[in-house]
Amino acid sequence: MHNDSPLKAFFVVVVTAIICSSLVSAAVVILRPIQLNNQMLDRSRNIMKLTGLVEKGVAPGDEEILELFRSMDVRIVDIDRAVFSNELDPLSFDQRRAANNPDLGVDIPAGQDLSSLGRRSRFTTVYIVLRDGELERLILPVHGAGMWSMIYGYIALEPDLNTIAAVTFYEQAETPGIGDQIQRPEWQAQWQGRRIYDETGELRFAINQGKVEPGTSTWLYEVDALTGATVTADAVTSMIHYWFGSHGYRGFLDLLREQGYAVSRITGSTG
Amino acid sequence: MSHFIDTFFRAVFLENLALAYFLGMCTFLAVSKKVKTTIGLGIAVIVVEAISVPLNNLLYNFVLRDGALAWAGLGHLNFSYLGLLTQIAVIAAMIQVLEMVLNRFFPLLYNTLGIFLPLLTVNCAILGASLFMVQRDLGFIDSLAYGLGAGFGWALAIVMLAGLREKMKYSDIPAGLEGIGIAFFTTGLISLAFMGIAGLSF
Amino acid sequence: MTSKETFLKPLLKENPVTLHVLGICSALAITNSLTSSLIMSVSLTSVLVMTNVTISLIRRHLPSSVRLIVQITIIASAVAIIDQLLTAYLPDAAKTLRVYIALIVTNCIVLGRAEACAMKRGPGASFLDALGNGLGFSIILIIVAVIRELFGNGSLMGYRILELVHEGGWYEPNAMLLLPPSAFFIIGFIVWVIRSWKPEQNEEAEFKPAPLPDSEKR
Repeated sequence: MHNDSPLKAFFVVVVTAIICSSLVSAAVVILRPIQLNNQMLDRSRNIMKLTGLVEKGVAPGDEEILELFRSMDVRIVDIDRAVFSNELDPLSFDQRRAANNPDLGVDIPAGQDLSSLGRRSRFTTVYIVLRDGELERLILPVHGAGMWSMIYGYIALEPDLNTIAAVTFYEQAETPGIGDQIQRPEWQAQWQGRRIYDETGELRFAINQGKVEPGTSTWLYEVDALTGATVTADAVTSMIHYWFGSHGYRGFLDLLREQGYAVSRITGSTG
Repeated sequence: MSHFIDTFFRAVFLENLALAYFLGMCTFLAVSKKVKTTIGLGIAVIVVEAISVPLNNLLYNFVLRDGALAWAGLGHLNFSYLGLLTQIAVIAAMIQVLEMVLNRFFPLLYNTLGIFLPLLTVNCAILGASLFMVQRDLGFIDSLAYGLGAGFGWALAIVMLAGLREKMKYSDIPAGLEGIGIAFFTTGLISLAFMGIAGLSF
Repeated sequence: MTSKETFLKPLLKENPVTLHVLGICSALAITNSLTSSLIMSVSLTSVLVMTNVTISLIRRHLPSSVRLIVQITIIASAVAIIDQLLTAYLPDAAKTLRVYIALIVTNCIVLGRAEACAMKRGPGASFLDALGNGLGFSIILIIVAVIRELFGNGSLMGYRILELVHEGGWYEPNAMLLLPPSAFFIIGFIVWVIRSWKPEQNEEAEFKPAPLPDSEKR
């Protein structure tokens, strides 16, 4: 076949397309199980830091992480109705994609959208660490717009559902050396013991402008500022205010505090 | 509407494809010697971005992503891994069609912009905008805003650099820096300046 | 051109980044981390080699009307495969790098060498040319990354090398090196150094200042 004939051109294009697509598809099919396993491991590892199940300084192996993960209760919560839901599979539910889905996501009213999210998923995956059948820690996902990027993290709450047990920010692309200090474990350690709501039920948690002096009234609700990272710090504060406010988990937390959590009760209502 | 403008401004100043992400550098540094040429190139980029990003968005949301083919009853299929191949094919085809349309119906416009269009097929900035759009999972209107913003930001950067380089034509630059050396330093300084705009909210 | 020349030329004399200003687009953004840069270097070199050899093998059967799109398809497929391998075996790195790996498709070096070498010479020569260009690109990328990560963060590949002040050490990190503009400055310096060493690479200035008249000379 002559190189310039249109038939040859068509033939070459079709053959190339078929061979290339096949090779790529083959690679995808072969590698997909490994990729899915990595995703599960990744998520488990992030949450492990907050459960209190792993000692500091110990780096557990992959098998151990997955086992510890399986020992927790992983549930889906319907945020707006403040109840647990059994309709969706907690292990595979993808909150990020659900946000844009017309059925699974919901618009955030402009006045309440403190973190510039636009939309959020109606459902969220929560992780419950149990001790003797009682709730030891509740781990909630949070995310919000930072200065340059979307910041994703988890917050662990003590059984009073107000005191913070731990926090981690596992995905962000803030200014290196400045905003990305939110990743530093020494700063995150300060969050431990701080409270979100005060006695009157008002949302008091914030990242301070400067250093917080122990003994002052703000000490219980505030964390030291990050040098030079005002925009990122404000973004994180807004994030907490949104997710623990009335359009976020507040309703669910209030109800859970009232009714308590027990593994035996797994019906559609809280508890 | 304000979300549209917000996305647009973010794309132009805070996430400028050329100055913050270094996309489209090859063309950027090679063509930025005269302001007139760069304005032509800039307009071509804006047009191509404004069309290709929403187009790729539709393709991704209705054909490629996990469950996208639900409207055809094939909701269990996930072709997202073919995203790269299809996006570049869409861009190449779109530019080809644009070239033919311009040549036939707007010959004057074709003479100004036409030479740049084939160059844009392999411009990182064009593909990059589509890739970021997928990564950030933008909606259709948002991708239009993002496409326009990304193109405009890139065009702004290249026209600025051309303006500065034209002025520097008469400067006594050390021999080793002549040409791309000084262009790199200048671009770095413009990039640094743009970073000062971060933190503004609209 | 001998095989040795084909391989060695792109390393310094005709380095794709510093002489031809090709291919840095996608890569500069990730040079704040040496690990990312190494992964990017390996990925680009692999794609270069795979595609150039393939294109060289079929070069006699490519009609000119579809030449470009076939080349791009082959390149895009190679990149897609590398992307899948990365997501499977280096998932943490893949999260940051995915967009930039994808941009290898439009990387000027890959298409440039395909047109300049793979379409004209046999698979053996194309292989050496691709390897040489890949390494030339990698060298520049690694130099920039080492400077940026070491002096901007005191670490290399995540390992602490210089003790930072806020961790009780002595080194105050240069925060600007972690920002994008620094990559431009560093490459500018590298170009300056190379061209001072090999002045034949210098570009011609369009205008030269007129010499001072004798009356003005000090």
